[in-house]
Amino acid sequence: MADNVEAIQKSIKWYLIIGGILILASGATVWLSFVELPTHSLNILVGMILATIKATLVALIFMHLNHERSLIYKILLFTVVLAVVLFALFIFSHEDPLVFPGFYAPVEQQ
Amino acid sequence: MDIPYTVHARPDTGLYNAKIGIWLFLASEVMLFGGLFSAYIFLRVGADYPWPVHDLDVTLGFINTVVLIASSVTVVMAWAMLKLRKFAWYRINMAITVICAGVFMFNKSLEYKAKFSHYAVKLTDGTMLTGHLPNGYHVKFDGVKELSITIAGGNKAVDADPVDVVLPAIEGDVPKFKFPSGTEQELNAATFGELQKATRKAAYEAYQAKRDGMIADAEKVLAAATTPHAIYEAEKRLAIARNYNVIPDTKITLVAASPIKFAANTSDIFGYTDTTLTFCDGTIVTGKLTDDKMTLQVDGVDARGVAQSEKSLAFDHRYLGDAWQKAFVENRDHHIATFEHDYPTRDKTRSATLQKDSLFFKIHTSTPPAEGKAHGDKHGAEAHAPAENHGSGHDYPTVVLEKKDFTFFSNFTPKLNTYYAIYFTLTGLHGLHVVAGALVLLYFLAFDGKRLRQDPEHLANRVEVGGLFWHFVDLVWIFLFPLLYLL
Amino acid sequence: MSAAATTHDHAHDHSHDDHAHGHHEQSFVWKYIFSSDHKTIGMQYGITGLIFLLFGFFLMLLMRWSIAYPGIPVPAVDVIRHLPILGDFFEGMFGRWLNADGSLNGELYNMLGAMHGTVMVFFGIVPLGFAAFGNFVMPLQIGTIDMAFPRLNMMSYWFFFISCVLMMYSFFVGTGPVQTGWTMYSPLASTMNMGVTSIWKHGHIWWLLAMVFNISASLLGSVNFIATIINLRTKGMAWMKMPFFCWAMFVTAFLLLLAFPPLEVAAILQLSDRVFGSSFYLPTGLMEGGKQLDISGGGSPLLYQHLFWFLAHPEVYVLILPAFAILTDIIPCNARRPLWGYKSMVYSVLTLGFLSFLVWAHHMYLTGMGTMMSTYFQITTVLISVPSVVLLTCLMVSLWGGSIRFNTQMLFASAFLPMFGIGGLTGLPLAFSFIDLAMHDTYYVIGHFHYVVAPGTIFALFAGVYHWFPKMTGRFMNDKLGKLHFWPSLIGMNLVFAPMFIQGMAGFHRRWYDGGKYFENTSAMSHWTTTLTHKIGAFFGFNIPDNMLSLNIVMSIGAFILALGQVPFIINFWFSIKGGKKITSDNPWEATTMEWATPTPPPHGNFLFDPVAHRGPYEYSVPGHATDFYPQWESEPGKPDLKAVAEKAQAHH
Repeated sequence: MADNVEAIQKSIKWYLIIGGILILASGATVWLSFVELPTHSLNILVGMILATIKATLVALIFMHLNHERSLIYKILLFTVVLAVVLFALFIFSHEDPLVFPGFYAPVEQQ
Repeated sequence: MDIPYTVHARPDTGLYNAKIGIWLFLASEVMLFGGLFSAYIFLRVGADYPWPVHDLDVTLGFINTVVLIASSVTVVMAWAMLKLRKFAWYRINMAITVICAGVFMFNKSLEYKAKFSHYAVKLTDGTMLTGHLPNGYHVKFDGVKELSITIAGGNKAVDADPVDVVLPAIEGDVPKFKFPSGTEQELNAATFGELQKATRKAAYEAYQAKRDGMIADAEKVLAAATTPHAIYEAEKRLAIARNYNVIPDTKITLVAASPIKFAANTSDIFGYTDTTLTFCDGTIVTGKLTDDKMTLQVDGVDARGVAQSEKSLAFDHRYLGDAWQKAFVENRDHHIATFEHDYPTRDKTRSATLQKDSLFFKIHTSTPPAEGKAHGDKHGAEAHAPAENHGSGHDYPTVVLEKKDFTFFSNFTPKLNTYYAIYFTLTGLHGLHVVAGALVLLYFLAFDGKRLRQDPEHLANRVEVGGLFWHFVDLVWIFLFPLLYLL
Repeated sequence: MSAAATTHDHAHDHSHDDHAHGHHEQSFVWKYIFSSDHKTIGMQYGITGLIFLLFGFFLMLLMRWSIAYPGIPVPAVDVIRHLPILGDFFEGMFGRWLNADGSLNGELYNMLGAMHGTVMVFFGIVPLGFAAFGNFVMPLQIGTIDMAFPRLNMMSYWFFFISCVLMMYSFFVGTGPVQTGWTMYSPLASTMNMGVTSIWKHGHIWWLLAMVFNISASLLGSVNFIATIINLRTKGMAWMKMPFFCWAMFVTAFLLLLAFPPLEVAAILQLSDRVFGSSFYLPTGLMEGGKQLDISGGGSPLLYQHLFWFLAHPEVYVLILPAFAILTDIIPCNARRPLWGYKSMVYSVLTLGFLSFLVWAHHMYLTGMGTMMSTYFQITTVLISVPSVVLLTCLMVSLWGGSIRFNTQMLFASAFLPMFGIGGLTGLPLAFSFIDLAMHDTYYVIGHFHYVVAPGTIFALFAGVYHWFPKMTGRFMNDKLGKLHFWPSLIGMNLVFAPMFIQGMAGFHRRWYDGGKYFENTSAMSHWTTTLTHKIGAFFGFNIPDNMLSLNIVMSIGAFILALGQVPFIINFWFSIKGGKKITSDNPWEATTMEWATPTPPPHGNFLFDPVAHRGPYEYSVPGHATDFYPQWESEPGKPDLKAVAEKAQAHH
């Protein structure tokens, strides 16, 4: 952890730079959302990738996760795995690949 | 008593207590917002209506994003300044953080406020009309001479509460009422309370008298019974009498001194027919239904739910009429043509943006535009949130919708659809976190001066922990902003 | 005592005995009510939890009456409802819903069912098992002075207390308490009783508010537990020297920490559906009573079930892990043998904790999830039985070759093993969707999870009460009364829950308030158990019919025996506080873990010396050692001088 004076002084510059990057990235997200990509899902994907990058920056730099104790990583890893499970299974329960057409509703007439 | 490791880290874990605590709390928060985001995914994937995209005010949202990022920078700066023992800079950074939180919440309140007065109405053919209800929506009754209220004997879900439920719905002066006692007096909390008390007492006495009578009868029968079967039956009857617990409801009629007009909110009534109106406290009034039409100032026609959009019920001659229909078609065809020109290879039906631009027609004037001008509004394709139009000086065409033509209406609140429901839940909970975080930081700034002088290291720990929470709030917003405002 | 007992940071002298004059004289309120001492909070949680267990049990008795004797007045109801104060409470909570003849109806049965589940799970077992024992014992076992955040700990209890008050208040509102099961499934839960004068007359609102407070309380508690275990372990208390009790509490706290937030989400969204008219859980076109509801639709009931079971499956392990935790202290102590397979138990409990998050949708086979989801959840569900079996097996093997002391807590502990075994093994078939489709919502399921929770967890909790009572009060609970508590409980539990398997496989549904009388086709079946019941009844001169309905009577008799069995416990518990046999040593059971190194009852700050963990927690019958137990805190045999410490403690009182 950046506990000594020099390290903190050095990191102050980085805090400002990262803040600037985050604001620019937010602008980029807004702009990209108005660009008509081939499908809207692609828009969502791009937007979410940008958001994830921003979130990672906040977590690593502002929240000092770039030099944290292993214990914190373990707790967070466990949490993130569970959150991913939550997302993934929710999506799968909606769009189960093993459901054959006509399982829930009659097959649409061609 | 001192708990160890509150200030300095434990050597083998390298952490002080509060830091473990806050990270655990944040892990729990990840699951809280994780649950909410997965609900968002679930609702969006399963939505059976076009999911609103760019419906909110993107500018305001972007400003809030910048504000929150800036506050995130300042809070970490505050911590760093405290570590470097630059107390003045610490105070400045902390103050900016708290001010940023204030700005954020102010913007949020602007955003919310506009939505409460903006309405959407679903017509029977699936068209959604958006706009404002200048007078609200009321079911109007006339010629009501008496209130027929039901005072529940026991503790019931529906119990007469005319003062809070019925009286606010009266249009014009509230007359005096003739009470069952024969006196004519005002109906207010005090007089009704008395009436309620007396009625309940009478009902309870009636119940007791009835129970006593039943017991006496049963005892008489029991005394007269001789055969085992008769005794068994009589004992059963006695048990029923002893357990008799039905305290009767009392119907009371309050006669009004002069006929009353009602204009009732739909949320305050159970239902109505041409002649009767039932309030949610069980009060029934008899009169004549005069008006249940809805007067709507239309600022948008969303025909995405209609098979043939130009034949939407909104363009019926009673409502918007032919001229607006023409403007709608022109706008629609213009957008389709532009899309075909820009993206010749793409499937028109699969572009949500095109669907929205072509079929969700925004109205900014009270009269239909001259030919060829319908698409002149350059906001058309942009994030011009209808919710923000209110009070910006526009005039709108007014339609009077008949009850049979619309099935559902709501202001832009959680009731409107699942998008607004999750929008309000997510941003509302996020807002609560902002407020809570700001209060904690404000406490450090305003009331922790002693610690600042005596034990800055401890305060630095506290600021770090508060800051971690604050960054998390920022982090959530980083996902909220694109998901709700942009995508 | 403060200076001596408090600090680990500062070096200090063992010999100085200033523990007496350091006492802050606290007023009663701050000492016993708004206390931030982990032991007081533990006891507050414990007593609240015990009271709620009794209350939940009472709800169940009313239900059982209705099942066995539908349409017949509840016995003595006309006396109870006309009692001075109690009668008014009874009338406000239950009496006003009874039929005119004093018998139960379906409406009241549903309220009782929903509240029985809610009260038992969220207000009885979790507070008692996790919060009470965890708070009291865990900091002592890791050798620290208090929790990492004492004031948060106090807040946790008071949030819990608020949630208790709100939940109880829901009995007195206009609609009565919720009627839709402890699972509170939407859309039924969201749309039931839409017609109310104001939403505050609705039990559902109060249920949800109470749950929000309850969840906040467990959140604060679990953060505290984990931080304490990570950071406040005393010198020498390495992770693998920590008693299994603390490991189990550690995992339980993680389950609470990460599983409860999705339930909070579920509750908030349901609250929004109810208060703001949103449609999170309401599908498009939902009708009620032939009328289209005034909602937008677009939501999904499945969303609720996912969010709910994401909590509620880990919650099952929150119920059972404290039981294992307690047993791992009681069984080695009373078998005078080390815990067998400590390491494998630790790894199992960690695996169990992780897997418990991945199995939730096995409660939802009937919702028509896709085949892939079903397959996935069947696999994980079968997987999770492996660590559970490891835990149970280790406990059983620990008994092998021991010289077992059959005191009350050991009786309960040893009864736990087969009872939990029955509960666990009957759960295996339910893991498979094709069997579950037939068994879903039958009494088979009820029997299965009650075997796990009632003669399982609750027996372990009783064992814990008997075990730590001397440490809490300085007095033993009476052993004779304890045995009088144990045997009727064991018989009663089995009479209640074993027939459920038979009824369940015959197709009896859990929500029949008349116990199946209405469904002649199902209930007319005969079985050797019903024949036996018929014959035994005939022997005593009762005419019990030879069909499935007779099992209802058996179960209700079982419940009655169980109720009688609790009387000695209640007497024992309250009278032993002041009148029990006094303990002669601070370590009356001759146990090895650190909570027994403190004076009795432990003072504010707990230890009179700086405890150091010199060895593992289960060093019983060590070859070559003078006694058959070798406590964690003893550096060399007999050092620090335990006797002197004990005398010091006696002088202190």
